[in-house]
Amino acid sequence: MSLSNILEDWSRYRKGHEQGGFHDYEHMWGMAIDLNKCIGCNACSVACYAENNLPVVGREKFSKGQAMHWMRIERYWDEPDLGDDRVSEFNQHGANFIPMNCQQCNAATCEPVCPVAATYHTPDGLNAQVYNRCIGSRYCSNNCPYRLRFFNFYSYYEESWPAPLEMQLNPDLSVRDKGVMEKCTFCVQRIRTVKDKAKMENRPVADGEAMPACAQTCPTSAIVFGDLLKHYDPDTDAPETKVVKTWRAHQVELRVTRQNKQNPDLRGYRVFEGLNTDPCVMFLERVREV
Amino acid sequence: MSNKVNRRDFLKIMGWGGVGATLAGCDMPTTVTLEEGKEEVTSYMIPEEYVIPGVGVYYASTCQQCPAGCGLHGRVREGRVLKLEGNPESPINRGRLCQMGQAGVQAHYNPDRITRPMMRKGSGLTTVSWDEALTHIQSKMEGVSGDRFAWFTDTVSGHQAVLMDAYREAVGSSRHYVHEIINNSVSRQVNQDMLGDPQPRLRFDKARVVLSFGADFLGTWQSPVHNAVEYAAFREAPRGVLVQVEPKMTLTGANADLWVAVRPGTEGVFALAVANALSAKNPAMLDGLPDKAKQLVRRYDIKKASRITGAAGEHIVKTAGWLAERSPSLVVAGASAEGHGHGYDTVAAIMLLNVILGNIGETIEASGAFPFPQLVARTGGTRDVMDFAKALDNKELDAVFFRGANPVFTAPESLGLRDKLGKVGLKVAFSQFEDETTRLADVVLPMYSAMEDWGTHVAAYQAGQAVIGIQQPLMQPLYEQTRGFGDVMLSLLKMRKVPGYDGYADYYAYLRDAFSALPDSLKNGASNDEFWASALQRGVLEVATGGGSLTAKVVDFDLPENPASEGAYTLVPSARLGLWDGRHANIPWLQEAPDQISKVVWDSWAEMHPRTARKLGVKTGDAIKITSANGSIEANVYVYKGIHPDAIAVPMGQGHETYGRFAKGRGVNPVKILALNTDGKTGELAHHSTQVQVSKTRVRDSMVIFGGSETQLGRKIVATVTADVYERTEGEA
Amino acid sequence: MFNTLQLPSGHITHRGARFVNRFLTPSLFWLAVIALVLGSGAARAESGVPNAVPPVGTHKGDDVPQPIEFPHNTHADVNQINCMYCHTYARRSKVAGIPPTSKCMGCHSVIATDKPRIKKLTEYWENKEPPPWRKVHDVPDYVHFTHEKHLKRFVFDNEGMQVENVAEVCAFCHGEVKKMTVAHKVKPLNMGFCRRCHEANEGPFDCWKCHK
Repeated sequence: MSLSNILEDWSRYRKGHEQGGFHDYEHMWGMAIDLNKCIGCNACSVACYAENNLPVVGREKFSKGQAMHWMRIERYWDEPDLGDDRVSEFNQHGANFIPMNCQQCNAATCEPVCPVAATYHTPDGLNAQVYNRCIGSRYCSNNCPYRLRFFNFYSYYEESWPAPLEMQLNPDLSVRDKGVMEKCTFCVQRIRTVKDKAKMENRPVADGEAMPACAQTCPTSAIVFGDLLKHYDPDTDAPETKVVKTWRAHQVELRVTRQNKQNPDLRGYRVFEGLNTDPCVMFLERVREV
Repeated sequence: MSNKVNRRDFLKIMGWGGVGATLAGCDMPTTVTLEEGKEEVTSYMIPEEYVIPGVGVYYASTCQQCPAGCGLHGRVREGRVLKLEGNPESPINRGRLCQMGQAGVQAHYNPDRITRPMMRKGSGLTTVSWDEALTHIQSKMEGVSGDRFAWFTDTVSGHQAVLMDAYREAVGSSRHYVHEIINNSVSRQVNQDMLGDPQPRLRFDKARVVLSFGADFLGTWQSPVHNAVEYAAFREAPRGVLVQVEPKMTLTGANADLWVAVRPGTEGVFALAVANALSAKNPAMLDGLPDKAKQLVRRYDIKKASRITGAAGEHIVKTAGWLAERSPSLVVAGASAEGHGHGYDTVAAIMLLNVILGNIGETIEASGAFPFPQLVARTGGTRDVMDFAKALDNKELDAVFFRGANPVFTAPESLGLRDKLGKVGLKVAFSQFEDETTRLADVVLPMYSAMEDWGTHVAAYQAGQAVIGIQQPLMQPLYEQTRGFGDVMLSLLKMRKVPGYDGYADYYAYLRDAFSALPDSLKNGASNDEFWASALQRGVLEVATGGGSLTAKVVDFDLPENPASEGAYTLVPSARLGLWDGRHANIPWLQEAPDQISKVVWDSWAEMHPRTARKLGVKTGDAIKITSANGSIEANVYVYKGIHPDAIAVPMGQGHETYGRFAKGRGVNPVKILALNTDGKTGELAHHSTQVQVSKTRVRDSMVIFGGSETQLGRKIVATVTADVYERTEGEA
Repeated sequence: MFNTLQLPSGHITHRGARFVNRFLTPSLFWLAVIALVLGSGAARAESGVPNAVPPVGTHKGDDVPQPIEFPHNTHADVNQINCMYCHTYARRSKVAGIPPTSKCMGCHSVIATDKPRIKKLTEYWENKEPPPWRKVHDVPDYVHFTHEKHLKRFVFDNEGMQVENVAEVCAFCHGEVKKMTVAHKVKPLNMGFCRRCHEANEGPFDCWKCHK
């Protein structure tokens, strides 16, 4: 019956990643972000503004939480450092910085709630947002545990880019209008350019060829970006990508809700993976001497 | 439909149904299409080589957002520069950029640029033609000679500096004031005296321990991107330890393994106490030091130092322990150590650690002599602006040309520059924006942006391989009435009939000629045209520097018995990667990028320790009034434990009275109320020594802080491991 | 609406099949209906392009006044000039490009210099300003369309295809421009038009392939 078909389909979709993946993925773009190297300098965030036509919303709208930073640096203080200063006088171990961009979850909580399928998973393993399809229900941002979806409450193009600032806009992606949800795309326009180029030259995409703006500019190279599916191929002798190497070195696996590491001291982890979101971004724990 | 439909199922079905309906919709013949013939298509007259519409092309240039001189790649499409990236060929930034570099395009496309030359007629500035402006300058300058003329600039280098010198020498003046409020002039002097090299090369990548006294080397110190690149290597296994000692947490401090708060002005005591602790374990370390230095080291045992600095004794012991165990190390001093009446002595005490730890020649290397002395950077600090004010007082100047620097904003109000400048007959501003200084000028010459102009740049801090950075236009000028700095200088030189410049049609021709005149050893057998083309393509030109060596001479220094001030609070005018000294306050991306530490946007704030806040009865978000002998400012409070209770920190950069729509009337400028204390030995402004009174005041608009929670609330967002675990799992094995 | 959901999920073999299965099956039904209504262009077309099913759909475009009434027919039909001779970027970029004025003048500084249209062109050339051509074929800003990959698929990587016949591939989306003077839009260039062709020729189906 139709309804049971749908429900079965649906359940297969939701649990697909446990059975080896729902899609025949061409790529699965992912990241490894080393918090031992991240210095919280904001270069990635501003590079993202430059690459992705992100509007500057101004002080008032920022105060209402309407800032549009797809890549943001979160800063946390250690718990004791916020308590009574007679117990811990100074913040001895500095700040906890973490760059947060869309985690490109394989079991994304934002996708199934979209009433018009404006957000979906691409064969590249990306959590896509199709702007011209979005009707602005905001269910997706409601459902994102990382708060990494951003809604255009206004038409920003008039005030954010007073002439001639609009000449800087990147023609490779849309300027989003009022009522549209948007999010980090792993700079899909750059990936697209690289894939098109590789296709024109009849060759596979090389590791390091596709590079989002944040990873490109990171002064400490804390962000490693690449294809999580490109393991060592004995047939073609193609080497595994740097990102696969990093994930493997830290024994972090996709498609699990809890990592079962042989060596639990290894630093790799995914934020909130217990929520079964299966993110494609792995972080390496921050290191402190004491 | 026999199944029972609950709400969840219903939502799911609605979802699928929606898909069907909407996707089918795109097949309908009624789907919107675009109207034809509404837009024009631009075609080229003659196609540019390499230009394919729809394809971005990268051109190399040099970043002008701060004096570090990073190499750029600008992505250009259809004649517009869209995005800046680091140039991997540059040994300074190795393909990386900081947020200020990324925002270079917004300085270029800024809506508040000056687009026409202006002259003061009556009380206001009136638009004039270039001819009128230049003729006016020339006729006024005919009556000026000798030291009655001066340049007043920020850091300049390369062939622009050569032309500035040529003009200055033609007038017969020896005055060139260089002003940077974010500087390391005191350290340069100490380095010169101790090492014989004002700006040695520092190897963060080689060091196993870095002990930094207020040097925000990841944020605003020397060459931030280069330092960050080396920092990444420093943090790889075997992982280096970073100890940061300062009164207010900088970006570097936020990344330290051990952050130590000290009372403002006591950094030297902490350094001597570390030396004391080191020598207690290994007395031979002090061998060869002058007796006075030995006495100073012995004077500060841990207990005494702890009392003076306010730092825990165990932190001194721990720091000394790391320095003793791991080698090589590197000890550096920055703004908070330099900015006191005893700044030179503090830095000398800090550098003493490098001597006794044997770091000189290890992690501190000789920079070597740059083979073209006429191109090297003219750097400066704050002494020049005070000399300048003195010269104005004595009516020694008839004409001043300003470029880059904005002293009316970045010098203390009590210098009185605003009024004193009125006494100068001719003030010419070579400027892109109407800043506080430009507004007072008699003639305003609108300059090309960094994306439109030609230039060569030699960074003050040369990272390893010394280079000349080449700046080339990344697009056509946006405005017809703006001109390149070099072009204007050539016009002025020609108008003054200075011999030797008639042959150059423009600055480009001058640069071509200058490159042809470079020694053959740089050209590798290439023709002049090939050499120029390859230099442009690569964006950097490597030059060999003479070897050079460092001395390890301990200079005579002394610290006051108890350098900390009593009673009042000390104002820390903190430098911030982003707005810098205020020159980037007109860039919306940088205004909207939260401060790394406080996460405040679009505003100024005052940082305060919880103990101080309790004493004053304020909490985060409340407003306070900070009063020095020279005025007062108001700001909202940000309370946290990254600051010493005796210090109040207000970041520089905001508080512009003009400077365009994004900067004007936003926040406050702490530099304004600084006292005119100076460092006893170098004469630099003691910018970290202003005593202030703080009081709670009326509520102003609350500041905007980005983010929700200040802690992780027990969630695993940023997880931390200790270094021994890291070494065990990822160390060299 | 719900009855369409009873369609069995068929086995579509090309890439993205599962995606099609999941999201598009209902609309495939409508597609079939529409294709029937339109008389199944795929079967009817007599295209000189091998291994290709031309897209289906028509559009009645407005007249677009151009600064010079450029006769495509004289160039492409009478004189048999290859489209890519003038629209030279098509095989290298997303956009085909309007030829630079210097390219026009390459021939017309000696050919037909006395004709009124050429005199007008020469005037533009001497004033150093390109003629303000008006756009006829355009897609919305949220669409990523690239000429180079379509040319690769249908011309350069297409076995049995002669590059001289490229006009037939261009005609898929632009109509028979070589029979026109100034170009007219005769194809709808909307999403349905694109999608039908992608389906028939097994093009990619991912939303983000074309939407940006």
